[in-house]
Amino acid sequence: MSRSAPERSEENVEYRVAHLRDRLAAEELGELGVRAEVRAGAVVVTGTVPSAQCRETVLRTVHEELAGLSVHTDVVVAETATPDHAEELP
Amino acid sequence: MIRVAAVGDIHMGPESQGVLRPAFETLPDCADLLLLAGDLTRHGTPEEARVVAQEVRDLPVPVVAVLGNHDHHDEQPEKVAALLEDAGVRVLEGEGTIVECGGTRVGVAGTKGFGGGFVGRSAGEFGEPLMKEFVRYSRRCADGLRTALEELERQGCGTRVALTHFSPVADTLAGEPPEIYPFLGSYLLAEAIDTAGADLSVHGHAHAGTEHGMTAGGVRVRNVAQPVIRRAFNVYHLHAG
Repeated sequence: MSRSAPERSEENVEYRVAHLRDRLAAEELGELGVRAEVRAGAVVVTGTVPSAQCRETVLRTVHEELAGLSVHTDVVVAETATPDHAEELP
Repeated sequence: MIRVAAVGDIHMGPESQGVLRPAFETLPDCADLLLLAGDLTRHGTPEEARVVAQEVRDLPVPVVAVLGNHDHHDEQPEKVAALLEDAGVRVLEGEGTIVECGGTRVGVAGTKGFGGGFVGRSAGEFGEPLMKEFVRYSRRCADGLRTALEELERQGCGTRVALTHFSPVADTLAGEPPEIYPFLGSYLLAEAIDTAGADLSVHGHAHAGTEHGMTAGGVRVRNVAQPVIRRAFNVYHLHAG
């Protein structure tokens, strides 16, 4: 019976996603709020970041770390509008 | 009625200056005080803290804050707090402050808080020294919150708010992966709030969570992380007291 050689960690999608998360937290972003998950053969990256510049950096990092993989992103910038109503707490 | 504005997790960095200021300048029209529920910076550097300080400096409403885990990352939370205090922000850790709002004494008790999880799924003070210290640290934060709330009651505050970064309940974490709940909050904070009493509990930290929750003792909890409320801040009208 033959057994295929174990995948190197950089070829394993789960570990690559874990390394992406480590890099987002460790580098200039300090970003812990972006979620990256493997779904149906693709990596889905979602979250809210503080600025458009952060969003660009996140997306660049995602595409560097996950090069060659199918990636879907939905990363939005935090909204800064004034609230239009208050919540009453009787 | 007390009008409480609150937001957490604004994660300001060098390019953030001025992003929230226009909304903050409308505060006198809609709120009596502003609560900042931690993670005001990205890495807790003095440079980032100066951006936050400038954003809230000389606001015409009192500003009360706790720090978050991000504000500790650069390992100089005292410096971050001092820069905010210089800008007029009252930064709380295991203590309270009283704000006069139209003749009513509003007490705010604050702690960053910490993780550990929720009843039945929580870390225990057992085993390795690091694990025991994890739980003891969370307990110290909760004890600080309880004693601060009790002191505010002794000082005659008709309305009391508990301000934390980590969550006291699991309700407001809905949307986060359940596996990470122990890193997002601790029931010890809710036990402190229910033991001492409060009219509202405000926290941040859980970006993918939900706004509304309640402690087992019936205290309303609001997750005001900016990604959750999707505004510069939210306002709560407290009719208690």
